Amino acid sequence: MIRSLVVVGALLLGVSTVVAQQDVAKQSQATMKENAKNLGGVLIAMVKGEKPYDQAAVNAALKQLDDTAKKLPSMFPESVKNVKLEGDYSSSPKIWEDKAGFAAKIDSFAKVVSEAKTKIKDLDSLKATAPGIGKECSNCHETFRLKSS
Amino acid sequence: MLRRTILAVLIAGTVGFGVYWWITAAPARPAVAAAALTANIANGQSMFNAGGCASCHAVPNQPDRTRLGGGLAMNSPFGTFYAPNISPDPSEGIGKWTDADFVNAVRSGVSPTGAHYYPAFPYTSYAHAKIEDVRDLFAYLKTLPPVSGKVRDHDLPFPFNFRRNIGVWKLLFMDDKSFVADAARSADWNRGAYLVNGFGHCAECHSPRNFLGGIIGSQKFAGGPNPEGEGWVPNITQKRLSDWSAKDIAYFLETGQKPDGDSAGGSMVRVIKNTSHLSEQDRAAMAEYLRSLPPVDGPTPPKRKEGGA
Repeated sequence: MIRSLVVVGALLLGVSTVVAQQDVAKQSQATMKENAKNLGGVLIAMVKGEKPYDQAAVNAALKQLDDTAKKLPSMFPESVKNVKLEGDYSSSPKIWEDKAGFAAKIDSFAKVVSEAKTKIKDLDSLKATAPGIGKECSNCHETFRLKSS
Repeated sequence: MLRRTILAVLIAGTVGFGVYWWITAAPARPAVAAAALTANIANGQSMFNAGGCASCHAVPNQPDRTRLGGGLAMNSPFGTFYAPNISPDPSEGIGKWTDADFVNAVRSGVSPTGAHYYPAFPYTSYAHAKIEDVRDLFAYLKTLPPVSGKVRDHDLPFPFNFRRNIGVWKLLFMDDKSFVADAARSADWNRGAYLVNGFGHCAECHSPRNFLGGIIGSQKFAGGPNPEGEGWVPNITQKRLSDWSAKDIAYFLETGQKPDGDSAGGSMVRVIKNTSHLSEQDRAAMAEYLRSLPPVDGPTPPKRKEGGA
């Protein structure tokens, strides 16, 4: 009886760990999609002239990106290494093979976003600064993200 | 009877080998007008950026894209290639090359000593470039700093290490027709078609390849497995890009920023580092051409199941 309890318990624990890992990975994915919405749908849309300049919307978008920068160091724990999700992309194993390199990219992103918060005051400063944030995204995705479809 | 059979086999063998030797020989060098060319260095620089030379030939892990000492390792299903030194260094680079040497290398994939280059060097696309543009590129490259140092040999298993076989490959898969403008289309479209199919060599990654590494022509630009390793290269025909405007494509080539806010990743980041230096008009021209590619289904990416492992 005890033995079967232990077995069931262990199985449940195993299942819940897998679910927890999936949740972590899903949250990371959702955060990344949120970043894209704020950068592409707000900041870059204004740069391209698709939307009028709106300081409040800029501030909100930058705040979300700044929050991401703070979350990033814990968004890819070792436990999600082998989690596979539906979607166009997956995390590259290089995240865990080159932890220092990955951390450096996060630091660089955080720095550019926090500078942007003080720099962006009008359309001209937005035009000068926002594409640099996108570059930070690319610089990390070049190595640490895999395209899967 | 036996003697006759042996003789027949020997003759067939000799003829077969002769044909092989003839097919695999490097072609005769193209005539490059000896007349001195007033090189247009600025145009050469545009071709350098369109061609993405720096992506492979710039010395890795340093920021200067004009130090073309080579050395980048490029994985493929056939082994690892190491990009050679194409700086103007006289001994390890192309400092002593003639215009004819350079044109022959870029458009035909043949070295100054008459050996075939591997098609990891995308001369299959560069073959469509105009000779004047290739010569301008050469003139531009000669203005860059010489970098000394020899790059190691490619690391390829048999039979891929036998360069003569590339002659057969070229016969099967290389289309070396010069670019012909389509009079029914605008000048911009034609410029875009020229850049995308020639120096831009977009199809080299954005098309599926057969087991011998030849591009599957019916699925050109329709994406496929990443030839350099893990992951997938996207379909860039209207099958996938129909909701991108020409402006979206041009902006992506400038900044790496997609219309949905996502950014370029993987090898495309290196490509953007080149296309961001092109002129506004050239990027717009490429976008106009890409917008006109009819939708084509490419190979299906592997299905992924959700779950932990």
